[in-house]
Amino acid sequence: MTPVPALQIEGLRKRFGGVTATRDVSITVMPGERRLLIGPNGAGKTTLFNLITGDLRADAGSIRLFGKELRRASTQERVRSGLARTYQILTLFPQETLLHNVSMALIGTRKVGWTPWGRFDRREDLRAASHAALERVGLAGFGRRIVAETSYGERRRLELAMALAQAPKVLLLDEPLAGLSAQERDAVAAVLDGLPRDVTTVLIEHDMDVALAFAERITLLNFGEVILEGTRAEVVADPRTREVYLGE
Amino acid sequence: MRAVMTGAGVAVFLAVLPWVLPGAFYVGIATHVLVFATLALSLNILIGYGGMSSLGHAVYLGVPSYAYAWLTANAGFGVASAAISAVALGTVLAAFFGVLALRASGLGFLMITLALGQIVWGLSYRWVALTGGDNGLRATRPVMFGLDTSDPTVFYYVGAAVFAAVLLCLWQFAGSPFVACLRGTRDQPRRMRMLGHNVWLIRLAAFVAAGFWGSVAGVLYVWDYQFISPQTMSLQQSAEALLMVVLGGAGTLAGPVAGAAIITLVKTVASSYVDRWSSLLGFVFILVVMFMPQGLVPGFRRMARRRAA
Repeated sequence: MTPVPALQIEGLRKRFGGVTATRDVSITVMPGERRLLIGPNGAGKTTLFNLITGDLRADAGSIRLFGKELRRASTQERVRSGLARTYQILTLFPQETLLHNVSMALIGTRKVGWTPWGRFDRREDLRAASHAALERVGLAGFGRRIVAETSYGERRRLELAMALAQAPKVLLLDEPLAGLSAQERDAVAAVLDGLPRDVTTVLIEHDMDVALAFAERITLLNFGEVILEGTRAEVVADPRTREVYLGE
Repeated sequence: MRAVMTGAGVAVFLAVLPWVLPGAFYVGIATHVLVFATLALSLNILIGYGGMSSLGHAVYLGVPSYAYAWLTANAGFGVASAAISAVALGTVLAAFFGVLALRASGLGFLMITLALGQIVWGLSYRWVALTGGDNGLRATRPVMFGLDTSDPTVFYYVGAAVFAAVLLCLWQFAGSPFVACLRGTRDQPRRMRMLGHNVWLIRLAAFVAAGFWGSVAGVLYVWDYQFISPQTMSLQQSAEALLMVVLGGAGTLAGPVAGAAIITLVKTVASSYVDRWSSLLGFVFILVVMFMPQGLVPGFRRMARRRAA
């Protein structure tokens, strides 16, 4: 008996007017797998993420998380099924502290958020767990800083801390290394490396050194279509990768 | 500790204010300020924390006022049961209107609240059998603990007690996990969804909370003015409430109170000296928007901080 895939996408389609952004995409990711999505700009990688999370509604096809059909489900339902993501364009609460940001991630699927009294920023239960999440991304001493006062690299790591705080089963990472200096890049790469092995991870990344070290399997997209899928060695060696991605 | 000091300061200020003011007329105005400060604080939940601008909030001032006046006059309700029923009605109405208005956001939301407000206002004009139409309804001030509330100073203390209680509740509310989530839906709705929050339900809860506290202001209003007419629910009244929040500083507690005080004072005091008091109000508003776009309270706080630095 084969195990149930963590993420199973079949015949997924999305059109924006005359443009087909996602064309019959089928991808299966097994539990614990680390998958890399590559393709040139406009290939439909981030659109695919948005379809998986429910930020966009697919026109046709199926999205299953551990066998549960979620194409018509709300984002909230998908998150409750174990999905989390980071954004390529930072999507944080810039006027709040890092601890506050992570706490917002922690209470997303709990009832605490409905309490209309007490001090949110002084809750010991949240503070300890938030500290732990920040520690995992190397931001241990930064909890009390305001996001607007941190560096870009620190914000990238905060994105990761928030997604990790959600204790996801399936994690979508949208270019976690985008725009980072070499030093910051190493810090984030170390965080990626330390991700728990039982978390199924799908990564979009253009930094090939880090991305290839991270992923075992690679899916190549172009013009909204899956061109090629295989192990790291297979995809790197395939002439179509060179043709589509690296440019002839 | 600072919070306790501030709270004590507010309590002392409210307690001694009638002794400082030059006469009963001004004590009456101070009571009006407290009524509108309560209304502005309730609207601030929507605007300040939720980022949702409403042009129909006077509904929650008017409907509970009508309900209270009608129930005490025609249904034999006592003070407490009429007040509770009026607040309950306003809150249920807010839940209903919230579901309708939250089909949209931003400008669409604003227009739906405006339209709903105008519908209720129109009903209050036309449904003469229930509302008395243009003539409005009369109500009497409640007799509490054998106090003579027809005396302006005595009634001021009733208003101040209610206002202080509302302020205490909203101060607790402001730092709560719920408001943290509400501010999250204002700043990053997409991220909030991705974190598992139900953005729509958080906004609806905020709308209901604003309706509830607005209804408390409504009961206070009908006690204070002892009269309710369609004018109380007009677009002008809703716009003034919005102006109070924005002028004083949305998202703070002191801001809406300051805004309510300024607008009520300009309306009642300045209007006896200046004919074009609404022009004066407009001028004040333009100045604030130009020099302190966040509102007076955050503006002065920033100035003080810069002075100290």
